[in-house]
Parts: sequence; C-alpha cells; structure tokens
Amino acid sequence: MWLTNQLKMFKDVFADLFPSLIEGLTVTLQVTVISVFGVTLLGVIFCAMKLSGVRLVRAAANIYVYCIRGTPFIVQLFLVFFGLPQLIQMSGGDFRINSFWASVVTCSINGGAYITDIFRTSIISVDKGQKEAAFSLEISKFNTYRKIIIPQALRLSISAIGNQIIITFKDTSICSIIALGDIVYKGKLYIGRTMQPFVTYMVIGVFYIIIISILSVAVHCVERGLNNDTENTDKKAKQKL
Amino acid sequence: MIPKIQIKKLSKSYNGLKVLDGIDLDVKPEEKVCVVGPSGSGKSTLLRCINGLEKTYTGEILINNCVSQKNKDKRIGMIFQHYNLFSNLNVMENITLAPICSKLISKKDAESYALKFLAKVGLEDKLYSYPSQLSGGQAQRVAIARSLANKPEVLLFDEPTSALDPERKDEILEIINNLSDTGMTMVIVTHEMEFVKNIADKVVFMDNARIIEENSPDKFFTRPETKRAQMFVKISNLQQSI
Repeated sequence: MWLTNQLKMFKDVFADLFPSLIEGLTVTLQVTVISVFGVTLLGVIFCAMKLSGVRLVRAAANIYVYCIRGTPFIVQLFLVFFGLPQLIQMSGGDFRINSFWASVVTCSINGGAYITDIFRTSIISVDKGQKEAAFSLEISKFNTYRKIIIPQALRLSISAIGNQIIITFKDTSICSIIALGDIVYKGKLYIGRTMQPFVTYMVIGVFYIIIISILSVAVHCVERGLNNDTENTDKKAKQKL
Repeated sequence: MIPKIQIKKLSKSYNGLKVLDGIDLDVKPEEKVCVVGPSGSGKSTLLRCINGLEKTYTGEILINNCVSQKNKDKRIGMIFQHYNLFSNLNVMENITLAPICSKLISKKDAESYALKFLAKVGLEDKLYSYPSQLSGGQAQRVAIARSLANKPEVLLFDEPTSALDPERKDEILEIINNLSDTGMTMVIVTHEMEFVKNIADKVVFMDNARIIEENSPDKFFTRPETKRAQMFVKISNLQQSI
C-alpha cells in the first residue's frame, strides 16, 4: 500500500517536473560541452608541459595538478565565483562573472588537472620501441607524436577520458549552489513549492542515471569503433582490391 | 678509403656499470660486420650508440667521417628484435610514413616505391594489413622493407631473428643475405653462427663491454686467437652438433 503510494507519487512528480528537468538538462549539457573543450585544451597544454625537458615548465604543470587535486571542487567554484571578482575589484578593476561562466571555468580547470594525468600516463605507456623506430627512420619529433604516439595513446585512454567527461557532467550539479539553472537547481525550486524533497531527489537521481547510461553507451561505442578501426579498414581495403 | 663508420674509444656506463669500455671499430663501405658474444656483453648498446638512440657516451662515433649526432642526414637504418612496426598504421603506411614525412617524395611515388620493396621481401599481398595481423616473420620482413624505403647507407640489425621460430628465422636470414649482395653496409648482432660464417666479412667478438677479438670468420671459427673466444666457439660448435 505504502509502496504503491510512493510509486504513484514518483510518477506524478516525474511528470510534473519533466519540463523543468529538460530545461535544466540543456543548461547542464551546455556547461559540460563547453567545459569538455576547456578540459581538453588545458589537458593538452599541461600534458605537454609535464613531458617537457625544462624543469621549471614541468614544475609549473605539477603545481597546477597538485593544487587542483588537493582542493575540493566547491572551494574552487567559490574562488572563481566570489573570490576572483573581489580580487580584481580590490586591485581597481571591474569584473563580474555570472554563474554560467563561473561553472564553465571551474569545471574546465578542475577536469583539466585530472585529464592532464590521463593524457600523460597514456602517452608514456605507448611502447618505447615505437619512438625508437621513428627515430631511426629520421621522422621528426612532431610527426612522431602526431602520427604514431598520440593516436596510440588515445586508443589506450579513451575509456578514462569518457569517465572524466561523465564526472564533469555530474560535477556541474554542485554549481547549482551558485544558482546555475541546472537539473538540481530546478529540483530545488520545485521542492520549495511542493515540500517533497524525498521524491523529488529520487526523480533527479533516476534522471541522472538515465542520462549517464546514454553517455556511457556513447563512450563504449567510440571505444569499440577505435578498436575495430584496424580490422574494418583492412576489410574495406580488401574489398577494394 | 674512408671507413663508413669509425668508432674511437667509445665508453658508456649506466649508473656506474660499464656497458661499453673503450670500443674501437671501423666498418668499411659495403662491409658486413657481425657482432657476436654472450648476452649482456654490450652488443645491442653498441648498435644503439651508432644509431644515436643512446646519446650519452664518451668517445667518438664518425659516420662518413662526420660526428654522427651533428650529421642530420645520417642514413642509418635499424632493424629491431621486436620489429617495432607502428601498430596504428597498416603495412603501406608503415613503409611510406618516413619518406612522406621527409617531403623528398610525393605520396604516389612513395607508394609505388613501397610496393617495390614489399615485393623484395615477398609480401605484396599484405599491403593493407595491420601489424597485429602479421606473423613475427612477416612483421620483420615489413620492418626491413620499411628501413629500405628510407634509402639507408648502413643497416644495423639488432638480433633480427631472436624472436622467431627456426623456419621464419631462415626466411629473414635469406632476405638479409640477398640484401648483402646489393652492397649494403651492415652491422649485425646475432646468435646465428652458421649465418655469421656465410655472410660476415669480419666477426667482432664482445664480452664484458669490450671487444675481445676482431677476426675474419674463417679464422674466428677455426682458430680463434683469444682464450675467451676459443671457449665461445667451442660451445657454439657443440650446440650445433647436437
């Protein structure tokens, strides 16, 4: 009796909340997608720095990763949203940041640190012989990375990268605390009206599971595509012959 | 005649452990030098120094009378024990990558060139296969074709047959034999004594980071001068007779 009641309530809330969940989802997705670009950019830059031969450059990248991994996401978010404008205003400038861009910046900086290490480990786990063969064929360092090392490293790290994207997607929910209009924020508004925290958060949880399942399947497909790449092209080539 | 490769007083150590100790060696143009000796005697390291894969050593290595590291166009090819084919590229791309990257040759020319070298090693039908789809022997043949496509003046072989079964071994050795007839300068590290007898102009015997004996194959396998070499030849002859 109790269970059927709860289930009915769950269904009602889901139907009631669905339009604003979709609204929230678009904001969440926007932040995630832009952040993924930022994360990739920062990852490439800092990974290159970490692999650099100059000790000072390496140290700078290490400090970045060390600080980001050592602090909670929410502290980074508050520093960007509240701290940064104050710092600039103190030094006489005028700077404001809205919650959307503060979220994007924080997600990028945060994810960038983790992806830096993912990139680095995948690059150094490519077989050393590949580099040595390229060296003896007098292929330039740039081309060695572009044509051989990075494609192989990507294949090694694709599932870790997918994982990091999913983590970034979930982390955006924390940004609801600075009034980013994401899924969780919409839920909070709904609770304010209806006083139904249990069912509402259950609905949000289920909603997240659905979206993340879709993302996981997508990552899995990309992974399979990359691994089958070699065989497929071989078959195609054979057909051509 | 200027030697192709001139090594003077080459020494190298890893963390205080001497792996090469005062190596002097000349390789003349078109000469086939075989380096033999027990494992860990520094044979592979010697090749890696010649090729520039090892950058910290004392002494001098001259290629065509130039210091090897400053000579960009050094034209030294290397064949590895574990083939080291680029695993994300197919056979054709493996062979054409270096010529195309050097921009000396168009993609089309590079490809027709690659076909020629693949025919040389008998693998025209594997053009679009990936390294994971090749057997060890096939992979090593592709590796040889890949090196040849870069038009080397010297080829270094680092135990090219050590990872192969006896039949595949003979395949590869035959290809190397054919190559030697074209007048390529070669330095070969190997444990295949029969092969050394056939191909070598000079045998270099190494032990404990030093060159113990440098001799013609005839003399080396019948009347080695040093005690250590006598022991080595005796044991390898014994193994052959078994």
